[in-house]
Amino acid sequence: MEIWRLPISASQRGKLISAGYTSLSSLSSISSSDLARELKVSESEAMNILKVASHSRGSETSNASCSIVEGAQSAWDMLHDEESLMHITTSSADLDNILGGGIHCKEVTEIGGVPGIGKTQLGIQVAVNVQIPNDFGGLGGKAIYIDTEGSFMVERAFQIAEACIEDMSEYNRFLRKDFQECKIKMLPQDILENIFYFRICSYTEQIALINYLDKFLSEHKDVKVIVVDSVTFHFRQDFDDMALRTRVLSGMALKLMNLAKRFSLAVVLLNQVTTKHTEASFQLALALGDSWSHTCTNRIVLYWNGNERYAYIDKSPSLRSASAAYSVTARGIRNSSSSCKRIKMM
Amino acid sequence: MARLANLETEYPVLDSTVRNFCASHGIFSAAFAEQNDSSERLKEGIAQVLSIIDDMHQPWLNGMELLEDAKRNKHVFPTGIQGIDLLLGDGIRVGQLTELVGPSSSGKTQVCLRTASNVARNHMVLYLDTGNSFSPQCIAYFLGKTISPSSAQAKNQFLQKVMSNISCHSVFDIFAMFDVLHQLESYLRCQDGRGCCQMRLLIVDSISSLISPVLGSSSTLGRALMTSAGYLLKKLAHQHNLAVLIINHTVGGEGGSSKPALGDSWKCIPHSRLFLSCDRGSNTYNVSILRHPSMASVKAARFVI
Repeated sequence: MEIWRLPISASQRGKLISAGYTSLSSLSSISSSDLARELKVSESEAMNILKVASHSRGSETSNASCSIVEGAQSAWDMLHDEESLMHITTSSADLDNILGGGIHCKEVTEIGGVPGIGKTQLGIQVAVNVQIPNDFGGLGGKAIYIDTEGSFMVERAFQIAEACIEDMSEYNRFLRKDFQECKIKMLPQDILENIFYFRICSYTEQIALINYLDKFLSEHKDVKVIVVDSVTFHFRQDFDDMALRTRVLSGMALKLMNLAKRFSLAVVLLNQVTTKHTEASFQLALALGDSWSHTCTNRIVLYWNGNERYAYIDKSPSLRSASAAYSVTARGIRNSSSSCKRIKMM
Repeated sequence: MARLANLETEYPVLDSTVRNFCASHGIFSAAFAEQNDSSERLKEGIAQVLSIIDDMHQPWLNGMELLEDAKRNKHVFPTGIQGIDLLLGDGIRVGQLTELVGPSSSGKTQVCLRTASNVARNHMVLYLDTGNSFSPQCIAYFLGKTISPSSAQAKNQFLQKVMSNISCHSVFDIFAMFDVLHQLESYLRCQDGRGCCQMRLLIVDSISSLISPVLGSSSTLGRALMTSAGYLLKKLAHQHNLAVLIINHTVGGEGGSSKPALGDSWKCIPHSRLFLSCDRGSNTYNVSILRHPSMASVKAARFVI
């Protein structure tokens, strides 16, 4: 393996190459003080370089194990793991049906739509529903809500939490009518306590927070969903350097994928829309460009169809493209009934 | 390349005089030797260094040996999708890097999963996933469609046998991918001796997600990593008889049309490039050849998954 494939800084790499160290094997037998003298760097820097090199070399020798690569899983094992993975319900049965049970864990789901369609409502509903206890078919986990626009309203979250607890007691009464009725011990205050809220005011804060989440999640292992509302806001206005934006967004997406996989949680990213000029027509498409549209695992587009709100699965590795209607009620996201829900302008 | 100081134990002629002479000319390792006409001792030293360099390059092969190698080792794997197999003349070729390009949700991951399930019947497959989009359910579904209806237990055994041949690993940055490819290289070196079920397909989904965070800044490191990733994949494909399938995405080009991402430097690296797109209305997919060593590049086909 060559030196320039190591994750070290460009100046260190330049010094190594001009001193004649072009491959890892040449670093195997030298001590850190000799290396420091040859490269004219401090001893701690030399020790760092040797550590990185030996870590990369260490991966060469550990191949006696049965898997081809450390950390690889066979598809058969993954099939069985997937069957035991839970989904986060959206409280609308039609929506859950097209989603294959709800929002998937270990995947990044992007949800986008025009303003007013209910993205923030869906985000709050998911943050509440993830806390449904295991007995009722939920994950019993906590939620992280990252707010970039300031559209999170605590009173609304309280309202949705109340409605969720009422639904759970109704379900309890319906199912366990033979047994002693056990009261739901959860209060809306408990649900709100389990939502970790972060308010972000610039794109650097957004990047810093995503980097910090690694440490936060190691301390709070019961977080099961991260909702980012919205991921677009700080990247649309005033961003001069488009190439930098692409780099930053792809890096952020990879970090979120990593968090989703390592901690087995769901990541929900809310996105805005923009108009795209294709041939002679104008079309609504999700914001942040083509490279961003490639980075998420699933994509759901919310749109108006007449007076009804619809959700459409635009991208998914395992689900068929389908759409379903839903509605935003005082109790949160629910199945749509046929009456008109859109506020008519008089 | 070893340093001259380390080579002294094997080749005693490379003593300190020779090394100091080389150092004064900026030669620290066998990679930098040059010609010189001073004393005999130095000449001997330089000649020794040059012969060490000669041993390091790949052996020369003539046309007949290449043809033999192609016939014996470089088979073609059908993808299992009729339209693509017809287009490519039987399928993807071992020893070559095939790239699938297309806008979002145009069927690239589905084609890879289908190919993986097809090849896994007889060989091993490694799937490197950057977007958590590897779906074992899809693989089980594709395999279920291909076998005749039999008892549930027989079907289960078949699924287990084939799906255990597919390994999936998640990589989330380019240095992790280099680590994985390096481990794969040592695994393949040991494998070449054995005759049993061997690894024949490597899928990277997608290489553009790994390269986008580093490409395009003022330093040239991003492009260096990109081209070296391409060369490493091609080397693995040729030396260890793998078929390599990679996924790239598209970006906006002039006039609103999409062009493949990663720029012009990447364009020449894959051996074949296929452009996929999806026709939402009729749910069929279109594939056309952008580049192929032996097929005309205006051919196109349609298929349904």
